[in-house]
Amino acid sequence: MFKARLKGDVLKEMIKVVSTLVDEVKLNITGEGITLKAVDPAHVAMVDLSLNKEAFEELEATDCELGVDIDKIKEVLSLAKAGDILDIDHDEEHNKLVVHIENITRHMSLVDTMGMSDPKMPQLNLPANIKLAAAELNQGIKASESISNHIALVANADGFELSSQGDTDSVSLKLRKDLLLHLECSEPVRSLFSLDYFANMIRSVPSSGVVTLAIGQDYPAMMTFEIAEGNGSVTYLLAPRIENE
Amino acid sequence: MKANAHPFDDPTIVRRSKKKMRSDRCSTCRGTRMLCGKARCPIMAKVYANVRTAPLLETRSLAGSSPPSVFVGRFGYPKVDIGPMIPPRFGDTHLLDTPEEWVGQPIDSIIAMRQQLVRGRHSVRADEPEAPDRLLQATRELALGGPPTRIDAMFKKRPSGRIELNSGTQPMGPSAPIESFEMETVKADRRIERAYDDTDLLARDGIMDLYQGGVYVSRIQRALSAGLLGEGKRRRLVPTRWSITAVDSTVGETMMERTKVAPTIDEYRIYETTQLDNRWIIMMMPTEWCYELVEAWYPNTLWNPSQRSISIISSHELYQGRKTYAEIGGCYYAARLASNELLTREGRQAGVVILREAHPGYILPVGVWNVREHVREALRREPARYDSLQGALGHVERMMDIPLKRWIGVSGVLKDRLYQRRLEDYT
Repeated sequence: MFKARLKGDVLKEMIKVVSTLVDEVKLNITGEGITLKAVDPAHVAMVDLSLNKEAFEELEATDCELGVDIDKIKEVLSLAKAGDILDIDHDEEHNKLVVHIENITRHMSLVDTMGMSDPKMPQLNLPANIKLAAAELNQGIKASESISNHIALVANADGFELSSQGDTDSVSLKLRKDLLLHLECSEPVRSLFSLDYFANMIRSVPSSGVVTLAIGQDYPAMMTFEIAEGNGSVTYLLAPRIENE
Repeated sequence: MKANAHPFDDPTIVRRSKKKMRSDRCSTCRGTRMLCGKARCPIMAKVYANVRTAPLLETRSLAGSSPPSVFVGRFGYPKVDIGPMIPPRFGDTHLLDTPEEWVGQPIDSIIAMRQQLVRGRHSVRADEPEAPDRLLQATRELALGGPPTRIDAMFKKRPSGRIELNSGTQPMGPSAPIESFEMETVKADRRIERAYDDTDLLARDGIMDLYQGGVYVSRIQRALSAGLLGEGKRRRLVPTRWSITAVDSTVGETMMERTKVAPTIDEYRIYETTQLDNRWIIMMMPTEWCYELVEAWYPNTLWNPSQRSISIISSHELYQGRKTYAEIGGCYYAARLASNELLTREGRQAGVVILREAHPGYILPVGVWNVREHVREALRREPARYDSLQGALGHVERMMDIPLKRWIGVSGVLKDRLYQRRLEDYT
């Protein structure tokens, strides 16, 4: 059984986070909230998201799994105005998700969850931890986009840097320790990432959000941030590119 | 036919821009966009100088069996030239316009075949395919046809000129404005006729119905070009060159939807063939769908006028697909179609990298069919199988003249496989 009432904006934030990686996702639903884990088709990135009970206006559910088509949810959300409240319930008899917005009711067929795996989050030991405003990261991404398809994340005890090296030009955004909300770095590290992936992930952070980045040397990066006004959390994992080109 | 002197040395060709010429532009332009700023393409000028002139017709009239074949020009769009193509002989001429059956033929016989096709030109508006214009409607009716159709044509002047060559469409013989033509009753291909009669059918669905009904891609392209497909009011005449890529791209894209959710192949595979002095390697990898076409032009090959350096260009897409038209042009979509045909037959998914090495014997552009049909031909063969990317790349190294490093250096997909780590590398 699943019956929920929530703000359209909360669902929008959640869908934005997931849709950067996958088209379909399995929602694990309990009376305490919704969680999901998904890996993109190229196995380069993964997302782990949870939405607490407090993120909902109302939530009544017994444990279940629902497979949803993200594009369909987006279609419904495009009908919602700012501040609209959505009512969602699972029609078990016809196995459909029923979404009400104002006077609109959409019956949505679900995706079979049989083939959808439960990805495992690798255990990573990441020596650098950086906390900063998403806006700073967005600036660095914007600077890199005209230079290269890759972006390097670099940290040492004094600060954090985003940099890109093109054929002829290069660019970097340097943030000294005092410009960061938090910096903890036991050894100097540097890892290179696909700019496309990284940019899409950072763009799905709610505006005025804060991101905690954990990085290592030629190692995956972990990004953590809050959604639903603190009642939900997201962890992204992104595998690096190795710089021997 | 041999290309030796440097085409850019030809003093009769006036350069309009003072910009320094970069020969690697040629492989992107292929005589169509005039990126060098010259009034005509020096490479094509050179090619023409080496081609035997087509035999001129003695009179303004011509009778023969059209394969059937129609051509829609792209210059002046939305005003376009449309008309039938007619060889000066009767009988079973279908082969003249069926590139699906040309694999294995030497370049000379393809040229000899195509230069028989005399093209009639008649100027019409592309967005008015239903205009009450007898020549237009007769040409469209011809495009419905299955078997060769006898035509008696009268031209406004004697068809003159030489064979027409370009990188998109098949070569063609001389052309002239057409005054009138009579043809025997067209025996319509029933499948094409059905799509034509259905004015609610989207062009995309029409293309797919025909493809799944076993109609040759070249025939679907002809039908699309003649404005026979699509919702009634939205039908258009489509320049032949554009319709070729529209069909390749649409069919490939539709098949890709299934490819992208199918289970992956189990091993690395290398398919190969050599045709028209082009060496082809199709590498399939047991990964998610991604695709790339890399073309390397040797010095002194068609689209590389440089005497010394190799020119390599490539276009690729990763799983998410691409949003812009491929730099490399129509070939990209033709080879993507061929790759997806194999994967659809097997119900599998793979990452596909196609390497084409054009050698100096490839001196004439013969059209995009060259790419589609030769990749198809390679994929009908038995592949070499490897259990690692390194093994497969070793095969490439052995078979190609251009060093592996150069291929990897330009290849977005190979670099992604070699340098991008996956999450499972850390579990």
